[in-house]
Parts: sequence; structure tokens; C-alpha cells
Amino acid sequence: MRWLRSISNRLRNLVRKDAVERETDQELRFHLEREITQRISSGMSPEQARRAALLEFGGVEQFKEDCREARGVKRIESLVADLRYGLRSLRRSPGFTIVCVLTLALGIGANTAIFSMVNALLLHPYSFRNLDSLVRVWEDRGIDEGYDARYIAPADAEDLRASNSVFDGLTTYSMQSFGLGAKGDVPPVLGCRVSSNFFDVLAVTPAAGRLFAAAEEQPGADQVAILSFGSWQRRFAGDPRLLGKTITLNSRVYTIVGIMPKDFDYPVPVELWVPLALTPAEKTDRTQLSLSALARLKPGVSVSQAGAVLSNFSHRLEKEYPKTNAGRATTLLQLRKELYMFTLPLFLLLQAAAGFVLLLACANLANLVFARMIGRQREIALRAALGAGRARLGQLFLSETLLYSSAAGVVAIAASFASVRALRTSIPVGWTKWVPGWDGIRVDSSVLAFTILAALGVGLFLGLATVLHTSRVELNKTLKETGTGTVTRTKRRVRSTLVVVQVMFALILLVCAGLTIQGFVRLANVYQGFEPARVLRIEISLPEKIYTDNVKITNFYQQILRGTAALSGVQHASLVTNPPASNVDSATTSFTIEGRAPLKPSDMPSADLQIASPDFFNTLKISSVAGRTFSDADSANAARVVVISRGMAARFWPKEDALGHRIKLGARDSTEQWLTIVGVVGDVRQNWWNPVTRPVIYRPFAQASQHSMTLLLRTSSNPTSYVSAARGVVRQTDPAIALQGINTLEEEIADSIAIVRIMGILMGIFGLVALALSSIGVYGVLSESVAQRTHEIGIRLALGANPRDLMKLILGQALKLTAIGLAVALPCAVAISRAMASLIFGVVTLDFTILGGFTALLLLVALGAGYLPARRAIRVDPMISLRYE
Amino acid sequence: MSKPTDLVQGTLDLLILKTIALEPMHGWAIAQRIRQVSRDVLQVNQGALYPALHRLEQQGWISAEWGESENNRRAKYYSLTKSGKKYLHSEQANWERLSAAIGLVLKTA
Repeated sequence: MRWLRSISNRLRNLVRKDAVERETDQELRFHLEREITQRISSGMSPEQARRAALLEFGGVEQFKEDCREARGVKRIESLVADLRYGLRSLRRSPGFTIVCVLTLALGIGANTAIFSMVNALLLHPYSFRNLDSLVRVWEDRGIDEGYDARYIAPADAEDLRASNSVFDGLTTYSMQSFGLGAKGDVPPVLGCRVSSNFFDVLAVTPAAGRLFAAAEEQPGADQVAILSFGSWQRRFAGDPRLLGKTITLNSRVYTIVGIMPKDFDYPVPVELWVPLALTPAEKTDRTQLSLSALARLKPGVSVSQAGAVLSNFSHRLEKEYPKTNAGRATTLLQLRKELYMFTLPLFLLLQAAAGFVLLLACANLANLVFARMIGRQREIALRAALGAGRARLGQLFLSETLLYSSAAGVVAIAASFASVRALRTSIPVGWTKWVPGWDGIRVDSSVLAFTILAALGVGLFLGLATVLHTSRVELNKTLKETGTGTVTRTKRRVRSTLVVVQVMFALILLVCAGLTIQGFVRLANVYQGFEPARVLRIEISLPEKIYTDNVKITNFYQQILRGTAALSGVQHASLVTNPPASNVDSATTSFTIEGRAPLKPSDMPSADLQIASPDFFNTLKISSVAGRTFSDADSANAARVVVISRGMAARFWPKEDALGHRIKLGARDSTEQWLTIVGVVGDVRQNWWNPVTRPVIYRPFAQASQHSMTLLLRTSSNPTSYVSAARGVVRQTDPAIALQGINTLEEEIADSIAIVRIMGILMGIFGLVALALSSIGVYGVLSESVAQRTHEIGIRLALGANPRDLMKLILGQALKLTAIGLAVALPCAVAISRAMASLIFGVVTLDFTILGGFTALLLLVALGAGYLPARRAIRVDPMISLRYE
Repeated sequence: MSKPTDLVQGTLDLLILKTIALEPMHGWAIAQRIRQVSRDVLQVNQGALYPALHRLEQQGWISAEWGESENNRRAKYYSLTKSGKKYLHSEQANWERLSAAIGLVLKTA
């Protein structure tokens, strides 16, 4: 109550200031009148009474001031006055104001843009209720298989679901690419097969329609689909009557039963979800780790408690099913943490870079403000002489810098809306299809709060810096001086230090940018083990109803290969099941090596399985290490052969020649045939995000036919110009076959590493901004110093100094500042590149050409920035400069 | 004449609060009343009185209202608020304890 009254009083005092003043006036006058009346009644004449009363009453204005202070308005009033003064002085020098505000807006805006990404991709990657209780669950076989190989066997998942005491729900899913449509070019759409409780575990509800029913997990009853919001908008133009209509996926007809909300894109931004309908045989499988699993912890159950329960569960399975489950450990990790592992380093780096840019902007601004303070020294001294205390002066400076930074904050917020829109629209969908949360990038309340805090922080920081910088005004000296003011040595040193720091940050930022871009280029080119240039890729999927046996499939593909290879300009034509950079893992298989001691199931070696046509290795220019590759002689009836990767040979035949050995897919007692190793080829990096190069087994396609293959054409010119010819060949062979995923291999690779590309571009922009800011800094300090030394330079020139020597003097100063900055920055840059090497997927290495190049660039830019003031200096007319004071 | 600065700040507040506890009063009457009751020992100068009143109002212990004075002029009347009453009670108790203690020391020491 009391506080309420106090606040309302204060508000009234502020808002109705004039009325309150009038009342005080009236109140005091009433008091005076009573005093006079009292004196008259005690016998004084009115004249005397009045004089006596006034005399005793004292200074009315002083009382009023005391009353004002008692009401607590004085401090606020003075702040308002300061702000008004600040605004006036901003208006007086619009150029200075614009430069300040834009510099700061650039710095704050860069941080806002990156924070909006961090906010969407890292802090709120998924909008799930109670995100921290969601965990990924998988079976760990103790082999380093990379980030993505986190799967669980279907039967094990079922057991876990039935027996668990720690999960509120456990759901399984598996990614699959579908061909959408019945005829013509069938675009590939990325889909996800999910158990019926998938959406319940995630606690999401559809935007329209319904979720899957448990009965729809049965094969045959599973032809229902839920669309993503984006897919509904893009492919069906947001048709409001879409529910109940049908679509064709991989030649099967599905009924659309639901549409998910806009921001739902788990596990990756997919276009649709269909039920995971496993056959009874698949359901009871414990050998293949084929499903991804996600679970929600019961309330109050911690991750470590659940971990303990899971380890008991694994032990039980090990005992019950030693053949399949020995050595497997069921493991869990919070969904949020899983995401962090991957993106946290990237975004930390970006946010740090943006922070550097802001610091650079602050340093620039501090320099500008300090320079202005020198011009205002007389004003400050006058204020101090009239009794303004240090706190009062501080308030003045703070309110001025806060004005700059708030204006900059407003500009930055306006700019951030534009930049976020630009960020989202300028980046092709293909780049970001693998980035969860990308659609969530927007300027929301937390981004706004971040921007406001950043603006206030910058304002406070600059204000305090200014206060410290100008605190020691020498009253007497400054007031006595007639000139424009002088700069003490210490103050000039402060400003030089700022420039040194700027150069330092600029070099570090540039090196980081260079390394990121280098990383992108390396990811795109060197590390793949093949040559992606001028290769066209087309996915072909044969309907299982028509192409029922091996012979039909092989005949079809052989015709396609012959037809496309005959096209003029096509150098090699081949087929493979999973081309590099597909962002999808190859199928893995366990295998047995002939003549080796039998192994526990958990110790059984496993490898990626690729089916390839003879010319595949030539098409991608994958090197042949030993033996031969495939030929047309490896037909369906010929001896069964395989080619293996160099990594596989080194891993399983470290001391002997792998050629001639025989392997069998699956366990020793499986019905598969023995396959003879006839060749070893170079390693291929399948997907950039997996730092582990997995062993690969290649089988000739005639001996292991597949319905879905990717056609690869190495051409002699622009690969996209062969699309229609290739399509013609397919049409001729079977007009009903659809083509999907038509793209050049190079573009596919660039798309798959989009996040690194985006990062490289952003870092490059930051680096350039840093370069610009630091050169402005060098220019500013030198201009200032030339202006200060005009008198001295004039005397030197008058006494016959050589202009060239003067030029050297000034440029030397520029070089000195830059060189000090570089000397400090180089060890930092080396340390940072070492750190980045471990952060960015092992593709970044310390590169002395990058270091040296940017060092030279910064020196050059500093010379350029110093040249203008230097030229101004040597053109000084001695007469004018000597008359200057 | 005891000058206002001789009054401990809290003491003036206490005197004002006690004085208007009986009925709403304007500033001049408060000063008169304090002087009369203290038999001319305590003379409150307006330079201290009005800032104190404004501060007490700001703090919410008292509230002000314009009304007719005994000579038919508009005057600002101050009265205790509810929380002001509680505050007065506790401050008065404090004061009595303190003055009794000081008295005790002065008598016996």
C-alpha cells in the first residue's frame, strides 16, 4: 500500500510537475501570511509585521529546492536535462552521430543476427514440451562408428519398451527417402517411418487431422501418411481439403491423415511421416541395429538413474541372447546434448567472432568519443569549475553514450529483422534441409532482449570508459588555455592502445575466417577420396511389382548403362547404391572372414555395403590400390567377387594381402555365399560429418541387384546439359520409370556441407568488417595526430624538412601501431587455429600462408589508412599552420 | 532558540507525526502546535518543516489534502495514513525506550 502510494506520488511529482510546484508555492505563501497575521495581532504594524516575517522566513527558493529534493524529483530531472542536452549535441553534429550509431549498429546487429541463429538452433532447437526429459537411446557395440551410427535392434527396443521402469514412453523410427508421385519425374522426398507412439512421446499434436493409430503399425494397414507443414505448403499449396486425399510413395498409395505444425521437424526436416510397419521377422530381429530410438524420462528420473537401469537391461539381454547381444551396452544421451556435440563448437565460434566485431566497433567508437572529448575539454572544465562533481559529470557522459547505443540498438533491431529475413531467404532450401530448427530463426522476445541488453551494455561500457578517460581534467590549465585544447601523452597512448587492440582482433578474425573457408573448401574437395567435378547424379527407383526378379532388374540397368555411356560427351556411366555426400548412411552388414576363429556376435566385423556397376570406380576416379575392379564378366552366373576399401583391408588384414581371401555376409552359419576379394580401392569419405572412414564392401550389381540405384555420369562438359539425354535413355527403356534427385555431385556436396558454407560466409563478412573497422581506427588516430601536430609540421617544413621524410614519419607511426597489434595477435591466432583444428571436423590445419597473407594485408591496409593523413601533413602550408594558433 | 538542525532528523519526523495524529493540520499549525506544547522550547523553522512534510508524504506515512483553514483560506492539510500510524507507534516506543535509557544513565552515572 505504502509503496503504491509512494510510486503514485512520485509519478504525480514528475508528470504534473507544474501543478506540484504551484501547490508548494501556495503552501509556503499561506504559511507566510499566517506569520504576518500573527505578528499584526500581537501589535505590529502591517509593514513591520511583513518585514519581520520575511526576514525570519529566509530564502523561499532554497526551501522549494529542498522540498523538491525531498520529493525525490531532482535526480530524475537532472537526468532528463542531461538526456535533452545529449540529444541537442547529437543533433548539432549529425555526421559524428551517424558514424557512431552505424558503427555500433553494425556491431550489435552482427551479434543479434548470430544470436538469433544460436537462439533458434541451439537454445530452442526443438519446441518440444520439457525438452530435457527427452533422450536418445541406442546400443553401443564398443566400436567407434561415428555420430550417426546410434541404432537399436527392433526386438531389443520392444523388450525395453515392455520392461522399462524409467521411461514414460519409448519410440523408434527410421529415415527413408520416398519417390513421390505415380508417373513422370518422381521427386525424392525425405520421410521418416515412425512407431505409432512417436508423436505422443514428443508430446506434439497435429495442426490438422490425426496421429497414427496403433493398428496402423501392421504391414498392410500402414498406408497412411502425416505431412510436414512445409511440405503441405510447398507441394500442395496449402490445400485446405488435403486430409483424406491420397499420394503415391514408392508406387504405393497412402492416405493423408494429418498435417504437423509449422515448427515440427524431428528428427531432421522431413516432408512426411509414415507408420513403421515391421514384418514379424523384422520385429524379432536382434542382429541388425536398424532403428533409431527416442524416449521420454518419467518425471523425477534422472539421466544417470535411467543409465543404471539401462545397463542392467543390457546385462539381462546379454545373458538371455548371448549369440546376438553379447558386448552390447544400451546407452542414452539427452536430445539437447546430442545436438550440442555437433553444432555447439560452430556457434560458439560464430558468436565469439560476432563479439569480436562488437568489441572492434566499441574500440572505434571509444576513439571517436575520446577525440570529441578533447574538443570538449573546456566545457568539461567549466562544468567542473561551476561545481559539477565527478558523479554528475559521469551521469552526463553516460546519458550521452547511452543515447548513442540506444539509437544503435534501435537501428540494430530494425536491421536484425531485415538480416534474419535475408539470412533465411538468401540461403537455398537445399542448404538447410539438414539443419534442425532452421525454420525457427526469427527475431523473438529473447533476441530482442539480447539486443537491448547488448545496446545498454555497450552504452554503459563506453560511458564508463569516457568517465575514466576524462576524470582528471586539469581545471586551471584547461581554462587558461586559448587554443583548441591539448592532448596529454597518456591520453594519446590510450587511443593508440585501442588501435593496437583493433588490429589484433582484426587479424584474429581474418585468420578464423580464412581457416573456416579453407575448411569448407577442403571438405568440398580434398577429403572425399574421389573427384566430384563434372559428375551428374540421378536416382532411379524401380517398382517392385513389375521388376520382380534379379534378371529383369539387371537387364534394365544394363540397358540404361549402355544407352547413357553411348551419349557423346559422357565418359563414364555407372550405378551405385549410395553415392558420396548423400547425407544418408550406407547399409551396414556384419560379415565373417573365412578361416578365422569364430567370434562372439558383438565382435563380428561390420562394414558398409555398396552395390556398384563395373565403371563406378572410373566414374568417380576412386583409385585402385590392388587387384582389379569389376568388369562385365562379373555377371550373375560368374564366381562371386567383392572389392573392398583400403581402410577395410588395413583393418582386417593388417599384415597380409587381402586379395584372394573369402568373406561371407552375416554369421558363419548364414546361407549367404562366400565372396572372394579381388580388389582393393581407395577410401571414400561418405558423409562429411562423420570423421570416421568406415570400411566398405563393394559388390558387382549383377550379383546383388537392387531396385533403387543412383546413376552417375562423368561428362566432358557441364553435367546439367546431359539431363534430358539421360532422361531420354530411361524413357526408351521403360517410360514408366521415374527419375529423382537430379543434381551435379559437386552441388550435392556443397549442399550437404551448407552449415560450414554459411559459417564460412558469415566469418568472411565478419573478417571484412573487422578489417574496415581497424583501418578506420588507424586512419582516425593518425588524422588526429597530424591535426595536433600541424604547428610542428609547419615549423619543420618552414625550416626546410624534406616532405618525403615527413611522410615516412607519419607512415612509420601507422606501421608501428599495426606492427605492435600484429605481434600480439600472431601467437593468439596460432593458438586459435590449433583450437579450430580440433573443432571443425579435423579439416582445418594451421596454415602459414593464411597467417602470412592476412598479416601482409593488414600492414598494407594500415599503410593505406595512414597515407591520407600523411599526404595532408606534407601539403601543410607553413604560413597557415604557423598562423593557426 | 533551538535551530532545526539541532533537532535530530528522526525527532522532527516523530514530532510531526505525533502532532497530526490527533487531527489533520496544515504546516503552520503544526509548527505552532509543537511550539505551544513544548512551551516554546522547540521552534520548528519552516525551512525544515516543509521538506520534512514532503518527504514524509513521499514515503507514504502521511497524506495531504487541500481544505479550508480557520480564516477561510485554502490550506494544505496533512493527516496520518494507516501505515503512518503504525510507524508512529513503533517510533514512539523506540523513542521512549531510548530517552528512558539516556535518563537512567544521566541520573545514575
